[in-house]
Amino acid sequence: MSVVGQCLAAFIFGSAVGFLVQRSRFCNTAALRDAMLFKTYRNTKALLVTMMILTVGFTTFMTFGDGVPLQFDVGINQVIGLFLFGIGMVLAGACTVSTWVKAGEGNVGAIWALLFTFIGMFLFSLVWSYTYWPPASATMTGEPNLAGLQFGFANAATLQEETGIPALFFGLIQTAVLYAIYQAILRKERRIAEQHAPVSQPVAAARTVLESKS
Amino acid sequence: MDFFKKTFDPVISLAIIAVLNIFLFLTVGAWTVGGGETMMTGLIAEFFLGDELARIPFWDLVFKPDAGYWKIYISLGMLFGALVGALMSKEFYWRVPKHLSEWVMITIGGLLMGIGIRLAFVCNVSTFFGLTPQMNLGGYLSITGIIAGAWVGSLIYKKVLEG
Repeated sequence: MSVVGQCLAAFIFGSAVGFLVQRSRFCNTAALRDAMLFKTYRNTKALLVTMMILTVGFTTFMTFGDGVPLQFDVGINQVIGLFLFGIGMVLAGACTVSTWVKAGEGNVGAIWALLFTFIGMFLFSLVWSYTYWPPASATMTGEPNLAGLQFGFANAATLQEETGIPALFFGLIQTAVLYAIYQAILRKERRIAEQHAPVSQPVAAARTVLESKS
Repeated sequence: MDFFKKTFDPVISLAIIAVLNIFLFLTVGAWTVGGGETMMTGLIAEFFLGDELARIPFWDLVFKPDAGYWKIYISLGMLFGALVGALMSKEFYWRVPKHLSEWVMITIGGLLMGIGIRLAFVCNVSTFFGLTPQMNLGGYLSITGIIAGAWVGSLIYKKVLEG
């Protein structure tokens, strides 16, 4: 695809995402923070459903060698980096998506967060220029590189190569795990709802009858 | 219009995004934000520093400033889409954080996000909507990191809110 075509596809996709996220008030930060801090799971459930659809979709196409998977080696830098990112996103009250979406709504705080994300990136680019660590995409070999704390490349496609079992099979296992987490959240929500609104005996009995019917 | 008055269901909205993301995965690559933001940083830096920027190895070897990098346009699209959504539902207005503590938290948070993305080479979007669905082992490491980070962040956030 030509460069213009790529950029156009990306812009159309981004516009749809921005619109849907703005209208649905989805936030990745809230998906994690609210679950931990307030025990509300509205965004967490949406996140899990998305991940289930994507896992089935991606692994189906990866089974046939289609699509463009991310080519990142597995490394310790990912744990440390996302740990810092996790602290940052809760403090800023927005992740990479919601900073753009909130900026589009006129949130000056989000624009400020974006500005400092750029500054943070520039600062780290200076550090990288001294250490040359972590290995960049161009220098990632796909092989374990213990000196660089990198463990090589591994995803559903490499699993399929090594085991001969279609990638989709592993994808379905992961989807099942995500679904189990989703069910656990639903159970937890019901428990919380019962604690907050203790139902009288007859109503509870009527409800169990209704539930067993449906 | 009534359509723009109510909030969309997040599960349905995100399911639509997931389907679109699969199409993007088949054409250029899965949804990601961090790479585009880095390229924007590079372009802004190039605007101020000119050719001097190429003397910093990172901007010469890893991210050579290039306005034709598709990931930039996902971010600009999100800004545009959100602006349209906010204007049509009459939700656009300038929101300015009131307290100094908010400004400090946003500043530190922004810096940590920028440093974190560059250290990990992935952002939260590629973690949840790219690496993990592709079953990249790095995705599992990243999720561990982001959950631990969000937990520590929540503790700090709670302290600041209460204190």
